[in-house]
Amino acid sequence: MSQNGSPETDPQDAGDGAAWSIVSYLLSGLIFWGGAGWLLDHWLGTKIFLLVGLVLGAAASLYLIWLRYGRQ
Amino acid sequence: MNVASGGFQPPSSADFVFSPFIGQSAYLTKPIALIFLSVLVISVFFFVAARKAAIVPSRLQFAGESVYAFVRNGLGRDIIGQDFARFVPFLFTLFTFILVNNIFGIVPFLQFPAMSRFGFPLVLALLTFVVFHAAAIKKKGFGPYLKEIMFMPGIPKFVYVILTPLELMTFFITRPVTLAVRLFANMFAGHLLLLVFILGGDHLLHGVIGLKFISPFAFAVGIALTFFEFLVQVLQAYIFTLLTALYIAGALADEH
Amino acid sequence: MKGTLNLVGYGLSAIGPAIATGLIFAAYINGVARQPEARGVLQPIAFLGFALAEALALFGLVLAFVL
Repeated sequence: MSQNGSPETDPQDAGDGAAWSIVSYLLSGLIFWGGAGWLLDHWLGTKIFLLVGLVLGAAASLYLIWLRYGRQ
Repeated sequence: MNVASGGFQPPSSADFVFSPFIGQSAYLTKPIALIFLSVLVISVFFFVAARKAAIVPSRLQFAGESVYAFVRNGLGRDIIGQDFARFVPFLFTLFTFILVNNIFGIVPFLQFPAMSRFGFPLVLALLTFVVFHAAAIKKKGFGPYLKEIMFMPGIPKFVYVILTPLELMTFFITRPVTLAVRLFANMFAGHLLLLVFILGGDHLLHGVIGLKFISPFAFAVGIALTFFEFLVQVLQAYIFTLLTALYIAGALADEH
Repeated sequence: MKGTLNLVGYGLSAIGPAIATGLIFAAYINGVARQPEARGVLQPIAFLGFALAEALALFGLVLAFVL
C-alpha cells in the first residue's frame, strides 16, 4: 500500500463512471435540443420541431458518448 | 375519484411537510432536528472511537477505522489515485453524513430520512459541484479547463455547434442536478413506499372483520421492505460518494 | 383517482429498455467472466448498447411530459 495510490488501478479506466456519465449526457442532449425545439414550436406555432430536436439531441448525445467511451 | 370520508387516505407528499415544534419558525422542524442529531451522532461516535486509539483496537475503534478505511481506500485511493489525500476528509464527511441521515429513515421514532426533502441533497450536490470544478481549475487553470470541456479533439469543426452546448450543460447543470435528484428520489420513494404499507396495514386493522386478516400481510411486506430500504439507503450513500470521487478524478485527469 | 394516461404509457415503454439493459450487461459480464482479457474490447460495445437502450427510455420520459 503505497501512499501514491496503487499503480495497477488506472483512474481513467472508463468502466467505473461510464454508465453514470452516459445517462447525464443523454439527458443533456434530450433536454437541450428538445427544449430548443419546443421553444421554436412555441414561437412559430408548429408541432414538428420538438420531435426534430429530440431526435437531434439523442443522436448528438450518442455521438458524443461514442467519442468519449467508444473510440479506441 | 374522491374517497368517501373516513376512507383510506393514501400517503402523499403532504406527509413530508412537518409543522414546527414551537411557534411558526420554519427552522424548528423534524428534518432540521434530524440533521443536527446526525451531526451529533457522527461527532460523538468518531470522537469516542478515536479517543483511546491503541495498536490493538477496541471494537468501537475497529468499527470507526473500517468505515474510514473503506472511504479512504475504496473511494479515495482507488478512484482518484495519486493526489487523493486532500479529498478524503470531504468524501468521508459526505459518506457518513448521508449514511446516518438515510438510516434515520428506518430508526424507530425518528423514521424520517432528511434527504427526502430536496434542499438537503441539493446543497450537498452543489458542494460537490464546487469542489470538483475548483480542483480542476486549480490544477489546469480556468481557460484550459473550459477549453477541454467544450472542444473534444478530433472532430470536424461544425459539429462543435451541436456538441459544445451539450458538454457545457452536462458539466454545469446535469451532473449536480442528477446527483441531487438521485438521492432525493430514492429516499422520497422509499419513505412513501413504507408509509403505504404501514399506514395501509393500520387502516385494514381498523376495518371490517374480513379485512383484519389481510392486515398482517401488509405489515409483513412493510417489514420486509424496511430491510430492503436499509440496503437502498446504504447504497445511495455509497453511490453519492462514489460519483463525487469519480467527478473529482475526471477533473484531475489529464486529457489524452 | 386522477392523472394522465401518459404516465401509464411511459411505464409500459420503460419495460423494453429495462429488459434490454439487463440483457446487455448480462452478456457483458458473461463475456468478461469467460475471457477477462476481452474486457477492453467489450466495454465500449456494452456501454454504447446501454446508451442506445437508455436513450429510448429517456425518449419515453420526455414524451410523457410534453405530449
